[in-house]
Amino acid sequence: MNSKSIIDLLSEEVPRKKTPIYEVIGSFILRDFKIWWTYKFWLTLDISGSILFVATYYIFSMITTPERIQEAGYTTGGYFTFALIGIAFQRYVFFAVQSINESIREEQWNGTMETILSSATDFKTFLLGETSFFFIASSAFLLITLFTGILLGATFNATPYSILSSIVLSILLIASHMAIGILSAGIIMKTKQGNPLTWAFSWMTQLVSGVFYPLKLLPWYLEWVGRIFPLTYSLDGIRLCLQAGKDLLNPVVLYDALNLLLFTIIATPIALYLFRKGYDAARADGSLGQY
Amino acid sequence: MNLKDLIDLFRDEGRNNSSNLIHIWAVFWANFKIFLSYRTWVITETLSTIASIIMYFFMGLQVDAQRLVEAGYGCISWLSFALVGIASENYLWMCISRISHSMQHEVREGTLEPIIASPIRLSSYIIGQSIRGFITSSYFMLGVLIVGIFVLRTPLMVGPENLLSFLVILLAMVASYMGIGITAAGIILVYKRGDPLTFLFASITEFLGGVLFPLNYLKDYPILWTLAWLMPYTYALDALRRVLLTGATLASPDVLKDLTILGIYAIIFIPIGLKVFRWGCDRIRDEGTVATY
Amino acid sequence: MEYTVETFDLTKVFKGEKEGGKRLSVKAVDHVNIKVRRGEFFGLLGPNGAGKTTLIKILCTIIIPTEGTATVNGFDILKEPEKVRSSFGWFHGETGGRSLYWRLNAEDNLKFYAYLQNVPRELAKKRIDALLDFFELSKDRHKLVKEYSTGMKVRVMLARALIHNPPILFMDEPTIGLDTISAVETRKLLKALSVELGKTIVFTSHNMYEVEQLCERIAIMKDGRIIADSSPSILRDMLTDIKAIEVEIKECWSHEEIIGMLANLSIVKKVSETRNESNGLVIRLQVDDEYEAIPIVAERLRSRGVKVASILQVKPSLEDIFVRLTRGETS
Repeated sequence: MNSKSIIDLLSEEVPRKKTPIYEVIGSFILRDFKIWWTYKFWLTLDISGSILFVATYYIFSMITTPERIQEAGYTTGGYFTFALIGIAFQRYVFFAVQSINESIREEQWNGTMETILSSATDFKTFLLGETSFFFIASSAFLLITLFTGILLGATFNATPYSILSSIVLSILLIASHMAIGILSAGIIMKTKQGNPLTWAFSWMTQLVSGVFYPLKLLPWYLEWVGRIFPLTYSLDGIRLCLQAGKDLLNPVVLYDALNLLLFTIIATPIALYLFRKGYDAARADGSLGQY
Repeated sequence: MNLKDLIDLFRDEGRNNSSNLIHIWAVFWANFKIFLSYRTWVITETLSTIASIIMYFFMGLQVDAQRLVEAGYGCISWLSFALVGIASENYLWMCISRISHSMQHEVREGTLEPIIASPIRLSSYIIGQSIRGFITSSYFMLGVLIVGIFVLRTPLMVGPENLLSFLVILLAMVASYMGIGITAAGIILVYKRGDPLTFLFASITEFLGGVLFPLNYLKDYPILWTLAWLMPYTYALDALRRVLLTGATLASPDVLKDLTILGIYAIIFIPIGLKVFRWGCDRIRDEGTVATY
Repeated sequence: MEYTVETFDLTKVFKGEKEGGKRLSVKAVDHVNIKVRRGEFFGLLGPNGAGKTTLIKILCTIIIPTEGTATVNGFDILKEPEKVRSSFGWFHGETGGRSLYWRLNAEDNLKFYAYLQNVPRELAKKRIDALLDFFELSKDRHKLVKEYSTGMKVRVMLARALIHNPPILFMDEPTIGLDTISAVETRKLLKALSVELGKTIVFTSHNMYEVEQLCERIAIMKDGRIIADSSPSILRDMLTDIKAIEVEIKECWSHEEIIGMLANLSIVKKVSETRNESNGLVIRLQVDDEYEAIPIVAERLRSRGVKVASILQVKPSLEDIFVRLTRGETS
């Protein structure tokens, strides 16, 4: 080790310019993918888990009656298609939110968080970078789950317009849950205890968002709780599109879409603000790198 | 305290003979205290358990009662059918994953090195952790049963004789899986990352064990049907349902048959698990990666 | 049994990562033979990665050697690991407070290990009180360890190594992460344990001052091998070719200029500067003949109006020896 050569190297003047944001985010995505790819084995297990889950509900659907589903307006496919859409999208959202939390915890645990945030990256870029990859990855999961369902014989009633509408609804679903992901990441940074929150969130949505049964089966107060969660609107809209051939021109689907939009517009700034607060609080008590 | 007093205190040698019971107790006690320190986790986990039971209640509203009758369970509500499955599957999962979870923690936190460097025997460590696992999982199982029976008014047969049979079957079930839990812990020691049990164990038992639907429906798929009856859990759940839904006891021949099979699994797999665990310990001591995460 | 710790051609080869189809293996410990007497304060020195920690972990039965064996307290580490495990207390400073249960308090951590080490309950309580008091943790004893500072965690770990009153202590960088006062107290404690209670102590540190102060015998490791094993004074005699004088400056106009001027003297081979305890400037000159050099340097400094506090002939420090040996320079 020669200290002089290092000093020489560092004293060279390098003109600094700001790295474009897409390059920064691209490098985050690439990094996360590389880390993710090292867990190939666990990945396969994860996918098998999803497949098993779908298979469970396939068999379960054999002992159900489709009446309640049809009453709710989802005319085609019966209980299995209904549950398949519920499971696929609920897992989609849960996987994304949990992965964000986990990667933040990992960064804290490894002490890389302090390094990244003390480098010139600002926190919004950091967040966008952290979350982008997991939405890409969970979309892949979503497709695998839906494909398994189709193989097992899920039937749909969809038109090109309704498929397009369901894609729009999925994008709104992502946007609205980005806010939830950011919010829980902010809480993790302060409390260092994210997982219980994510799990509670997961169970709450399963209970009241109509993943496994139409919302109408719930007593009125739980139905109202369900209306807080964006997942409820997404599931209703997507099911109407794929199980009843409706599209965004249908007033109910449009109503669902507008609700999601509204949620996103209101929740995103709040989530960013709270994340900022959590981040500042962690910096203030010096626990950024703590686990 | 000054140095001189401290040194004087250490002049006296005092030491007991090695006692496995004290070691087991120490492992249990320390880990139970750690469990209690995760207060938020305990609370949210309790809430999610309750939420999940309520969810199953609503799911049950869509079930065609006729199908259960056809499957030979008589005229019972689907929720009582499912509740036995959910409670036992949860319980099994928590007990079995205890050892591998704690191994992951000990490696991650670097506390495994001091344990290996102390005179405690591996089996004492495993027993201590298991006791901790039994107690905490019993808490959650009781939660499931209490909500099911008292809040959702699920009819289950709970008399003293049923309860005794229930406990015996639970113990046999956990014993039959113990070997697998210890094996997983041994594998984690070596490969550090991820718990092979976490991902698939719950989904496989839920699917193949027939937690949510009568197993008859798998008969059309011979491979799945065979696999299902290779799993000890299927026997345990069968016995538990007989006891809690139809009022059978330990004396019933079907229950006895199930228990015997569980016992055979325990006898075969526990020694294998211990071997793998020992292999894992020796391997990391050889690689020098006891505390590497 | 004369030796409490003795190794016989102890060797550890780690299989490294695969690189280009070839597995690189690392000899972390290479045929090491050391003998430590009962009650001896034995220092193990070496640069990072020299194999000290691996050697200690082998003695602690945490790592299994590839070749050779060792006895600790008369028990073979391969044949009677259980007996070995109740013979030593181990402290590993590098973990920086990992290795404790962060979700237990200090008292519970100590209690846990006391039970694992079969200390009777009453005695354990007495010792825990005493150790917590000595390490000034009494008032925080009910706080969870995760709220402790690094220094506090290190002190809990030290207490843990002592809780069962073992005859042998493996102290791997025990003063790392401690503030000056705690470090001084810890050194006093270790010395007392060795002198008064006859404990055998195997000690590693990167702090040469500390090693010189404590150790009766020193082994220097490099690349897994022991390259020197002797008392500090004998080691020092190995380096008689290093001759130096130290000039303590009391007052001067510019110390860069003085150093430049002294470096230009033909009798001076090398110049370095340090600070003494009171932060005064000390210039160290390596010379061929210190008796010739002292008057020349004194005269030159006086002529430039520099006020000199002292000029001393110095013996090579342990640090000099260490640097010399581990760099592989030969005299």
